[in-house]
Amino acid sequence: MASHIAAVGLGKSYWKGPNEVPVLRGVDLEAERGEMVAVVGASGSGKSTLLHILGLLDAPDAGTVLVDSQRIDNRPERHRDSMRNRLFGFIFQFYHLLPELTALENVMMPNLIRHGAWAYWKERRRIRHEAAELMQRVGLGHRLDHRPTELSGGEMQRTAIARALAGRPSILLADEPTGNLDAASGQGVLDLLRDLNRERELTMMLVTHDQHIAQQADRGVRLAEGRIEDWVPALL
Amino acid sequence: MYKYLLCWRYLRTRYIALASVISVMLGVATMIVVNSVMAGFSDKMRDRLHGVLADLVVESASMDGFDNFEEVMARVQAAGGDDVLAMAPTMETPGILKYRVGSGSMTRPVQIIGVRAAERARTGDFAEFLFDEKGAKVEPSFQVPERLKEISPAGARLKEIEGEPEDAFKRALQEQLEIQRRQQVPDQGAIIGYALGTWHPGKGQPDVYLAHLGTKISLAFPTSGKKPEAGFDEFTVVGFFKSGMSEYDSTHVYVPLEQLQKTRLLVGPDGKGAVNQIQIKVRPGTNLDRLADRLQQALERLHPMFFKVWTWEQKQGPLLGAVAIEQSILNILLFMIIAVAGFGILAIFSMIVVEKTRDIGVMKALGASTSGIRGIFLGYGLLLGAVGSGVGMIGGLLFVRYINEIEKVLSVVIGRKVFDDSIYYFDKIPTLVEPHTLVAIVIGALFIAVLASVWPAQRAARLHPVKALRFE
Repeated sequence: MASHIAAVGLGKSYWKGPNEVPVLRGVDLEAERGEMVAVVGASGSGKSTLLHILGLLDAPDAGTVLVDSQRIDNRPERHRDSMRNRLFGFIFQFYHLLPELTALENVMMPNLIRHGAWAYWKERRRIRHEAAELMQRVGLGHRLDHRPTELSGGEMQRTAIARALAGRPSILLADEPTGNLDAASGQGVLDLLRDLNRERELTMMLVTHDQHIAQQADRGVRLAEGRIEDWVPALL
Repeated sequence: MYKYLLCWRYLRTRYIALASVISVMLGVATMIVVNSVMAGFSDKMRDRLHGVLADLVVESASMDGFDNFEEVMARVQAAGGDDVLAMAPTMETPGILKYRVGSGSMTRPVQIIGVRAAERARTGDFAEFLFDEKGAKVEPSFQVPERLKEISPAGARLKEIEGEPEDAFKRALQEQLEIQRRQQVPDQGAIIGYALGTWHPGKGQPDVYLAHLGTKISLAFPTSGKKPEAGFDEFTVVGFFKSGMSEYDSTHVYVPLEQLQKTRLLVGPDGKGAVNQIQIKVRPGTNLDRLADRLQQALERLHPMFFKVWTWEQKQGPLLGAVAIEQSILNILLFMIIAVAGFGILAIFSMIVVEKTRDIGVMKALGASTSGIRGIFLGYGLLLGAVGSGVGMIGGLLFVRYINEIEKVLSVVIGRKVFDDSIYYFDKIPTLVEPHTLVAIVIGALFIAVLASVWPAQRAARLHPVKALRFE
């Protein structure tokens, strides 16, 4: 089966003054359509950097990113903007909801970015309805008009998941999605992600340092010293 | 669409940005108020200047003038055609005014203007500015009314003996009294500037009349002899000239043209008197500069380098120019207020960009483009400018609308008159809201608001999404 998203020989270094600090040293990774892949690794191992490069938020120094066998990391900026909006959904550890907007408006955000004023005006009912349905799906149908500050951590992360799905992406990139939640809320969020993964055949890249969470993915890989190794939970 | 939504939400939730709105608002309101008041003053001043001066003035190079003024007027009429509606020959000369006040006297330097009152009235608003002591309008005439003649001691005595039997004694007495009456109330009337005949105590007190209707005034002026010598004449005050321009009201004395020509020794052997000005009223809508050029050319052919044709605006050039410069400088200074508001926007926006760094990263992760992020902050700046100028414009216009009421309240609060109406003789603060000024102020404020947001917007747009997401 062909991979949905693949990283081939990804390399990335940061500069701290005159010193080069390599983070990724030829990372090869792929995920099939509908597969949930967990990337584990110690703090500072480059998990987030890998996710950012896969999601076109950052550019690799070496290597390529392929989606459906098409290289995407070298596309012009406006194409990359558009792909982030349509192809990828991001979930962050600290939710990153926009505090000025209500939960529903946060969920509508990918569509607000995609549509100009006139196009939005014509589609506003559909966009609103879909966002409300997503909120319903993540169990927050009663919190549509609440501001992020009025939501609990678990609720904020569920809202962030609804937002990540609002643009109808085929790939979900989650950076420590449960890292800021208590165990019960974290498991709830994970169950939700698992359900969505199955329902929508979403390809998911889950970055975490929590082995318990990683165990629930279809496949796990470990990032160590800038390289990917297969990860077998039982061996840890 | 997200740009508009976020601009609107930022405006409603970032209260610190309201400081910029208030700065823009105050700047715009101040500029509107100051411009409206200055335009009002300027407009009134122009009205009054134009009212005192005719549309065009033909002036001779010599103060002694020219005695062929009928020929000059004929040339003017021929060159100006239908554009010339009326003309008035005038003799203007500097002089000294003196009249008795109680046991003392009042002496002032003046501009003596010899005119034919009715003709002068046809060339401008001269008649509109003539009043008696009670503020009632008087006719443009130098005729001394009988009632003024009768209030003098000799006049009163003449009235008394009117009914007595006719005999040689009465006739001799009448002749004697008539001479005395002429000395006390000269037959020639004069209209003097309001400020020449009154005393202004200030502090809201009414002006006190020092000269009254019927007061005898003496005028001294240069005659036209080979050597400069002083000529004298006496007149009776028959009216006051009150244009509202203190420069005129404190210097102008109008006397009959023929009398001034006679006493200045400007009447030739053929009986023709000289004038040194011709005031011309032209058809409304005529291009004054072009007509002045035409008349100048016509008069050059009659007498080269002797006549100068002025438009009323040229004649008052320095004064009008000074007002225009004053207004320009004031506008530049006031615009600094909005510029300061612009720096406020820049500072506050820079702060907001720092505060919103992570949100900018999130928006970029969700697909927002660099230009889209830039657009949020430029739009926010525009919105701040629009709200500030909108509220400022409404506030400024309301201030202008109720400026006199506000002035009264301020006068009560600070305990002295803010606007002393006796200085300009305006009963109210004149205001004129010019739409083009309003538009220029609002557009200027919007421009500054947007300009001030360019740098923070550019900074926000250039943020690297990963660095922005990791910002703490």
